[in-house]
Amino acid sequence: MVKNYLRRAYSSFAAHVFDIPPRLMSFLFLLILLIIPFIGLGQYYLSIMIYANVLAIFAASWDLLVGRTGQISLGHAIFFGIGGYSTALLFKFLGLPPWITIPIALLVGSSAALLIGFPCLRVKGPYLALVTMAFPIIMHSIVKWSPLSHIFGGEFGIRRLPAFFAFLPIRQQRIAEYYLTLILLFIASVIIYKIANSKTGIVFVSILDDEVASKACGINVTKYKLMSFIVSGLFGTLAGCLQAHLLKVSNPPMFELFWSFAPIIVTFLGGIGTIYGPLVGAYIYYILDKYFLTIQLPKLCEYFGVALPDEFEYAKLLIFALIVLILVIKWPRGIARFITDKLEDLEEARDFDERGPRIWKRYEKNDK
Amino acid sequence: MHLLEVENLTKRFGGLTAVKNVSFNIDEGEMVGLIGPNGAGKTTLFNLISGFLEPDSGTVKFEGENIMGLAPHKIVNKGIARTFQVVRPFRHLPVIANVMVALKSPRGARKIEWLKTMERKAADLLEDVGISELALEPAENVGHGTLKRLEMAKALATEPDLLMLDEPFGGLNPLETDFLTKSIMRMHLDEPSRGIFIVEHKLYALMQIVQRVIVLHQGEKIAEGTPEEIAKNKTVIEVYMGKGI
Repeated sequence: MVKNYLRRAYSSFAAHVFDIPPRLMSFLFLLILLIIPFIGLGQYYLSIMIYANVLAIFAASWDLLVGRTGQISLGHAIFFGIGGYSTALLFKFLGLPPWITIPIALLVGSSAALLIGFPCLRVKGPYLALVTMAFPIIMHSIVKWSPLSHIFGGEFGIRRLPAFFAFLPIRQQRIAEYYLTLILLFIASVIIYKIANSKTGIVFVSILDDEVASKACGINVTKYKLMSFIVSGLFGTLAGCLQAHLLKVSNPPMFELFWSFAPIIVTFLGGIGTIYGPLVGAYIYYILDKYFLTIQLPKLCEYFGVALPDEFEYAKLLIFALIVLILVIKWPRGIARFITDKLEDLEEARDFDERGPRIWKRYEKNDK
Repeated sequence: MHLLEVENLTKRFGGLTAVKNVSFNIDEGEMVGLIGPNGAGKTTLFNLISGFLEPDSGTVKFEGENIMGLAPHKIVNKGIARTFQVVRPFRHLPVIANVMVALKSPRGARKIEWLKTMERKAADLLEDVGISELALEPAENVGHGTLKRLEMAKALATEPDLLMLDEPFGGLNPLETDFLTKSIMRMHLDEPSRGIFIVEHKLYALMQIVQRVIVLHQGEKIAEGTPEEIAKNKTVIEVYMGKGI
């Protein structure tokens, strides 16, 4: 009986969790991610993958708010910073371990999303984008310059945060952190994907498409926008908490413009409105940035005898702006969707060769 | 008690008075037409009743309750559903999901019968307006005639007591117009207590189905009566054709 129950539980779990459209693709993707610590990568590359996981959670949460609900937020760094600082403050003043501070920080983050969302959602489109952009700037000066800044550790932030797996040796710590972030990424992206494709998600997309028409359908638009804001803020906060404990510091740069724009770059790389696109985008972004631009490019320059200027570090975002610009023109739907579209075309072509287009097959199935 | 009571409704846009002291009633189960030349204030009147615009003065009562100043979605949940003159589909969603948005509203969800899923209900609504074979097509790929019917399915999804159709025949060919006329008639027979309020320019199609016609001209109500009376009314002819005919 127990066996039967377990089987049923598993099949319902599988039906709900593995129902992701390009199934084979996501399965392979997950498999590759799972074996990455064992293919002999150095510490540096493993760290890149850890931070890519965090950025993927962050960008997926941005995609739910912007790609699915159409509420353009240029200030997602607010959640990142709130996450980092709430877990850090709880550690600093109460000495709690991360396992306790992170859930509390998530609560703080989602209530902050509610508070920020209420006034924000009175304005629309570009105005909303500008208003959301203001919040992290305000927070940045509060934690860095204001008279209250001594609570937040001022310019240097709150340092010496506890690591997640302090009891392990350093190499095992990295691997454990990698799996922790990967599992959290998996859980977060499945939850976000499920919400985005539920009936509530349909209402989100209706708000993106035509707010007036969804009002005429009897939808309380403000309620749904706030829901989207809260879910998005929750996972954004999660990413901030993880980042703080991985770097072992919460500092003012967490509120900087970079963390507002990183999810945008990543989401456009992967494909906006897909939820799985930002995950692909995050890995591409980190590989491009930390491997090609940080390691390979200086080597190449050395080979040709050209010296890279010191200011190159600051020009990196410009390069990404260029890449995003080219992508938007070439593949406006993003890399991930470009690949899945191609795969679907292949599948369709194969089906057609076997027994006519897919639509006929569906009717055959119904006949049986 | 009337289903909808509109009293002395006035709306100004700057110096222009779009709707001027308009009063009328709609009873349960009545089908009423609203006509008038371009710029007469028909759509403004619709927007005032459905809450998308706030009137400057006057009252709107629905089922004896004052609904003036309520948010549009609250008015929909009280039982007034409307369609738009220019179709407003949710272009990223499949046709069936467009209807499911309306079924997700409190009133739409309330009416779902036991064991009847939202998908089933949405499919039935599409069947009623005759576009069920396009259910899974993205709304951006389907034609204008389908979208007009989709608008109607969306409005019907909330099971309204008063259905307001803003130019349901606009941009349809005679065949489609005929089909839609028939579905409106059938809708009326299926739910005899539902009031229907139609704005339309195609007078021939409209006059066949409505029991009473209200004529607006430059924001004012100039005539009201059965289609036959309106067709013979001197003022109405003057407004449409000019003087001296």
